[in-house]
Amino acid sequence: MSEPLLEIKDLHASVGDKEIIKGLNLTINKGEVHAIMGPNGAGKSSLSYVLSGKDNYVVTSGHIRFKGQDLTKLSTEERAQAGLFLSMQYPTEIPGVAISNFLKQSLNSIRKAQNLPELDTISFMKLLRSEAEKLQISQEMLKRFVNVGFSGGEKKRFETLQMALLKPSFSILDEIDSGLDIDALKTVSEGVNALRTKDNAFLVITHYQRLLSHIIPDVIHIFADGHIIKTGDKTLALELEENGYANFIKED
Amino acid sequence: MPSPLIKNIELFLDDKPSVYALREKAKQTLLSTGFPTLKTEAWKYTPVTALTSKDFNVDTSDKICGDTCCSHQHHQDDAIIEIKFCKGKLHIEEYNTPTGLTITPLPLALYENEYKKYIFNSFELEKHPFAALNGMYLEQGICIYIDKNTKIEKPLVIKYNQSSADSLQLNIHNIIILEQNAKADLIEQFSSHNSNSYFTNVVNEIYLKTNASFTHYTAQNESPNAYHIVLNAVKQHNDSLYKHFYFASGAKLSRHETLINLERENARAEIYTAYTAKKDSLTDITTNINHLNQETFSNQYAKAVLNADSTAVFQGKIHIAPHAIKTSGNQLHKALYLNDNATLNCKPELEIYADDVKCSHGASCGEIDKDQLFYLTSRGISQETAKEILTNAHLEEIKALITDEKIKNLLFFSK
Repeated sequence: MSEPLLEIKDLHASVGDKEIIKGLNLTINKGEVHAIMGPNGAGKSSLSYVLSGKDNYVVTSGHIRFKGQDLTKLSTEERAQAGLFLSMQYPTEIPGVAISNFLKQSLNSIRKAQNLPELDTISFMKLLRSEAEKLQISQEMLKRFVNVGFSGGEKKRFETLQMALLKPSFSILDEIDSGLDIDALKTVSEGVNALRTKDNAFLVITHYQRLLSHIIPDVIHIFADGHIIKTGDKTLALELEENGYANFIKED
Repeated sequence: MPSPLIKNIELFLDDKPSVYALREKAKQTLLSTGFPTLKTEAWKYTPVTALTSKDFNVDTSDKICGDTCCSHQHHQDDAIIEIKFCKGKLHIEEYNTPTGLTITPLPLALYENEYKKYIFNSFELEKHPFAALNGMYLEQGICIYIDKNTKIEKPLVIKYNQSSADSLQLNIHNIIILEQNAKADLIEQFSSHNSNSYFTNVVNEIYLKTNASFTHYTAQNESPNAYHIVLNAVKQHNDSLYKHFYFASGAKLSRHETLINLERENARAEIYTAYTAKKDSLTDITTNINHLNQETFSNQYAKAVLNADSTAVFQGKIHIAPHAIKTSGNQLHKALYLNDNATLNCKPELEIYADDVKCSHGASCGEIDKDQLFYLTSRGISQETAKEILTNAHLEEIKALITDEKIKNLLFFSK
């Protein structure tokens, strides 16, 4: 019996005057991995911002339920505290903010909201070191400022590290494959796969079939012009790779 | 009507003609120049009438602070050399000083005349009315003398404990001399544990001889109702280095002025400032750097956080004398606004009378970066905490320039 984690019904959303999500329907159950594929400018990243509640991304109609509650009523931090995580396509550089302080603040904010005891510095650092090691993140890298001077691959590994620490129930991976070479893609994918459980779910946003042979989805959606135009199983990605988006968009 | 800050009182050693003459000179200068008004160019953004109309007293009761007046304990940390002023009174302690370092209380130094040539020699009384006010009460202070080739490993710490300084003006005059090849670090800490109103008025006259190296850290955490005016006047010989860090978050009105005379070749000055201007306060950072000889170098970098209803003033003057070729003077101020109701008056002044020099100035201001805020909140950190993290991050760049962990701890974590 599958239990819905995220339910999106006839969602419309805008940035300023521009409508970016135009009647989206999507249900993701616990334990599932969904992939969203689509051409540039289709609104894939916008969807991730709408879900995480970024300023200026306004839901105009429809609804989003997360674990049964109305997600649109929650602030960005409350969504994260409720278990939503966005791995960003372009993680923001924050000079002056040390990684360990940031991660400790983040983890303890979430633990506090979930009525779990906050971790002290010693147990936090222990946890951080062991999770970092799994993702081949060096101690040296942990001493830097958040995302500052990171290569593309380092940024994505750092996003994955945060996921491993925060253990979100629903993660949106926005082009986690962009800027990665084959080895880094493997490390990141293995990191993500290790986090899959029967209780959490993932929404993987990507351009390329390549990622989906590492993180194997249960469902694939083709997304164009602000909504889903086709849904299928993992073979849909292969079909796309063969024929491109143009055929599907024409059909629509 | 003269300011009630100017009083006729008898001071220690008034009967000694040379000391009396110094005080009288300062007093007569102040009486002729008067206190600055908004028409005074160097003070056009910093109104001082609220201060000069206050009847802040001069405490002449004791010359030194007895053990009984301070609730805190005397303790000599082996790793530092500590000098304390409690409501303007010097604590006389037995300083366990290393060879080559001499610490002399100002009254003693005045009595023996030995420091006379260093008094009022690094600045002009006419141009600094508050330093003239300080001079007319010349009595409290400390003279630090570091002999040639002496490197002081322990940081010198001067603590100004103003907690019990109610309605007082605290005029303190320090003389710091580093002879040839000498090296030292000084930390000055101004603090009050309550919200009393008083006026801290400090002058530091600093003389750096050939190849001397002096790093001067100041942490200003005065009471929110305090007035704080400091003049650091520095004279530098060949190859000397003056490095100054100023961290400020206190006082109702503060003016931190650094006057540097790079008198000889290859003298270098660096000033790094990080300050938080709080609600209903005015924070003034003023620098005057005179490149008086060729191949001299100065660099200023200031970062500010401005809260609602705060005012900040940054005036940075770089003067390059006609023959001071191949000099370099740089200045940069970056402000972070936390609220629209904050005012920053930024006035760079570059007076360049020589060719073949490199000078730059820049100022920027902005709000908290929305993408950075989103990144932090999307990780479950509350909006409020995220803003605090980003505000601290703005100032962190200056703090990160201090590489000595011990000094960092003394500055930011000691009480």
